[in-house]
Amino acid sequence: MQNINKVKILYFSLLITFFFGAKLSAQEEVVKLHYYNENNNLQYLILEANRKEAKILTPLPNKEYKVFLNTNDSSNLISAIKTDNSGRAKLFFPISLKESWNNNSEHTFIVEENEKEIISDFIINKAKIEIDTFTSDEGQKSIKAIVTKLVENKWLPADEVEMKLGIKRVGGILPAADEQSYTTDSSGTVVAEFKKDKIPGDENGNITLIAKVEENENFGNLSTEKIVNWGIATQVDSTFFEKRTLWSTRFKTPYWLLTLAYSIAIGIWATLIYLVYLVVKIVKLGNE
Amino acid sequence: MENSNELSDSIITQNLLPKKFGKRGMLWTSILVAICILGMYAYYRQLRYGLVVTNMRDYVSWGIYISNFVFFVAISLVGSLITAIFRLINVEWSTPLTRIAEIIAVSAITFASIIIVVDMGRPERFMNLFLHGRIQSPIMWDVIVIGTYFFISLLLLYIPLLPDLKILLQQKDKNPNWLNKLYSFLGSFWIGSRLQIALSNRAIQILCILIIPVAFCIHTVTSWLFATTYRPGWDSTNFGAYFISGAFLVGSGGVVVAMYIFRRYYQLEKYITEQHFEKMGKIVVLLCLIYLYFNVNEYLVPAFKMKKAEEKHLNELFTGDFSTMFWFAVIIGMIIPIITLIFKKGRKPFPMFIIGSMIVVGAWFKRYLIVTPTLLNPFLPMQDIPESYKHYFPSWEEWAIAMGSLAGVLLFITFFARIFPIIPIQETITEENAKHK
Repeated sequence: MQNINKVKILYFSLLITFFFGAKLSAQEEVVKLHYYNENNNLQYLILEANRKEAKILTPLPNKEYKVFLNTNDSSNLISAIKTDNSGRAKLFFPISLKESWNNNSEHTFIVEENEKEIISDFIINKAKIEIDTFTSDEGQKSIKAIVTKLVENKWLPADEVEMKLGIKRVGGILPAADEQSYTTDSSGTVVAEFKKDKIPGDENGNITLIAKVEENENFGNLSTEKIVNWGIATQVDSTFFEKRTLWSTRFKTPYWLLTLAYSIAIGIWATLIYLVYLVVKIVKLGNE
Repeated sequence: MENSNELSDSIITQNLLPKKFGKRGMLWTSILVAICILGMYAYYRQLRYGLVVTNMRDYVSWGIYISNFVFFVAISLVGSLITAIFRLINVEWSTPLTRIAEIIAVSAITFASIIIVVDMGRPERFMNLFLHGRIQSPIMWDVIVIGTYFFISLLLLYIPLLPDLKILLQQKDKNPNWLNKLYSFLGSFWIGSRLQIALSNRAIQILCILIIPVAFCIHTVTSWLFATTYRPGWDSTNFGAYFISGAFLVGSGGVVVAMYIFRRYYQLEKYITEQHFEKMGKIVVLLCLIYLYFNVNEYLVPAFKMKKAEEKHLNELFTGDFSTMFWFAVIIGMIIPIITLIFKKGRKPFPMFIIGSMIVVGAWFKRYLIVTPTLLNPFLPMQDIPESYKHYFPSWEEWAIAMGSLAGVLLFITFFARIFPIIPIQETITEENAKHK
């Protein structure tokens, strides 16, 4: 009987250990590094720290990390950072690492937390993206983007790179043609016909073309922009908000709406006040 | 004859006086209180951590709270149907139902106002709506009309209650002290003089006329919150009438459920008779048919045209992610009630109770379907959005708050029935006496 009880206790202990063990292991710290190269002249890194629990990622704020270039010597320290409320931190390369950065075509980034290496295999091959435009004899405007990678100090075409090519708008990239994304050919080139002829630009008709490679496993995030005069010039009507319209401020409400709304509200509330007066009269009659 | 009338008056009074909770009443109230407390805890968490505890994101910014709000506004319209419209067209059999309808209206509109504040990320800025409000915005119209409708409904509940308060004060020895104080505060001035009755009748008549356009306004304006946009599923000229017909249906369904419960647990079979269910059944089937007609218009016409923007939305409703909920709402909220209620046997109390419950549940899901799927299909989708923006299922906090508000409505009605007569005593006596003359 005692043996059976012991077995039960052991069984429950194992069950509890397994349950809590599973619970603890279900929580996982996920740290990711992202490399960016904007307009081929601004390189930086973004570190993202999250806690993963039941497939839900929760940002980890105020976490401290050290990020190194190639080796984790103090001389190769890019930056010691602390994550913000969204669990992110942005790092720029210090001037002291310029030579080391320029001398190699491929770099490894190392992330340490409390002197412990947590990322050591984030390797980036230096690459750049260029954007150009041309017009065919038939008058068809096109956008051309070329992706090149640095191999032994030579810029060579990068093929099979997926990218977006289009017009920079608020909130995203509007594709220049029907395709949502493009892949570079053996010469590292993609060409997209510009089919958004009637797109509004700024007051001079300027629009910004953009070529963007996102989260490429070799090159990270690359983007470059070019301003062209392909849009329709938009004239900003400065008197627009001065008019009494349904979309203007509350001080510019149309008179017809003011009259209608206030007439209804006053009519109904005047009747309600009269009804309250009747109730008061009933009260007074009872108290006489 | 006079003696028999006096006797019947006292029997009516005894039958209709509010009753203390029994064991079942206490259990029912405790469950509702527990759900409300859970809802309040969830709201505390929302205030503490912000709207991020909900699953509403940039796409679905009106989730279960606004669905609940539309549902409450809809169900509150029944006050104007049963109290006002029936009174104005001299439907005498509706007397036992008027107070049930009116208390449903008042409690629903109260919680509609509360749930709107719950939906606000920063409720302490509520006053800004009045300080900086634009009369051009349908949201502003909604706030004004809800306030007005609440006040009218409250008056329409209170003024007909005055003669009953006098009766309640005559039974002082049967009531606890605090209740007598409450009755005195609310109606000790009512002596039932001819002048008081004349003034009260005039006030009720005016209220009955006034509440109808205001009730139409409240739900039309609520529908315009959606219909004044271009979004698929909302861009409709049919929306005002569609919402009002749905509101009358869900309100009537709610009244039928309440009729059955009060009749059964307060032993009111003599007052809420099978005839009442028979007549309400005919009204409900008519309202179901009208609402079905508007639904056919609302979905069939856009589906016939299948404009690009509408296509994804309609496919999601008919065969996609929301299809189970959509057909569930249509079948249990309209089709089964119509099929059941066209037969006399279907208009008996118990089948009516089941059908009433189905209509209310179906109507709740219908509101959810009006609000959420449209928001998941924006005209101008954002790029690179997190996965959580593309789907919506309420978080436990949202469910707890929504269920807490539904429990709050039921608790409000339960407490009202504990304190005040749920069937007007004086009116019932007057009608009975008129029958004997």
